[in-house]
Amino acid sequence: MSLALALLSVVVSVGTVIGYASLLGVPAVRNHPEGYVAAFAIAATIAGLAVALRRRWPAWVALGVALVLLAGGGYVNFVMARIPPAPTMVRVGERAADFTLPDAMGRPISLRDFRGHKPVVLVFYRGHW
Amino acid sequence: MAELQGLGAALSEAERAGVEVVAVSPDRNEQSQRLADGLRMGYRFVADPDLAVTRQYGLLHRGGGPRGQDVPRPATLVLDRDGVIRWLSLSDNYQIRPDPADVVRAVRAL
Repeated sequence: MSLALALLSVVVSVGTVIGYASLLGVPAVRNHPEGYVAAFAIAATIAGLAVALRRRWPAWVALGVALVLLAGGGYVNFVMARIPPAPTMVRVGERAADFTLPDAMGRPISLRDFRGHKPVVLVFYRGHW
Repeated sequence: MAELQGLGAALSEAERAGVEVVAVSPDRNEQSQRLADGLRMGYRFVADPDLAVTRQYGLLHRGGGPRGQDVPRPATLVLDRDGVIRWLSLSDNYQIRPDPADVVRAVRAL
């Protein structure tokens, strides 16, 4: 029983890592990062149960893996990924400030080029995912 | 990129022609542009290497980069034909990006 629980804990831990990484493109998964923290907590609980039943190394290993992932995942989600509140200049109903920036070919692109022609989806992103 | 790829898939071909998707990033963007062109998404990547426009918009995440450098905070704005902001997505957790379906809904509502 202890061995089965240890195995289940590892499956939950590893499955969460692989599942979350491969489903980053799915908004329902990506936008609920607390989900992986909860899954690691569940894995740690199962491993803790395995240790309580029988203090053998597979249970300790499963508990170690789950706790490291829980600490790491908790740090990423609740500390590292937090953006401190800062005043922003963007408000619904206000005109977006015009700017001119070079595109990938070096041609200057201005927001006002599209005024009167097309709606614009303006995305600020960090460069990676 | 994940949210951009989803956006291309969520818009019909006619809609993609009728809306301009401008992606601002600190990178030089050749690679992103090639990727987007390969996926025929019609995005325009523009480079803001010194983050002047990001700062002008108040979208700077100080020290938020992997090496402690300043980076843009993820934000998506839908502007109507007059350049007025009609929809806005800002997150306080950089893992969270808008659902492309919500962006498309905002574009269709214009």
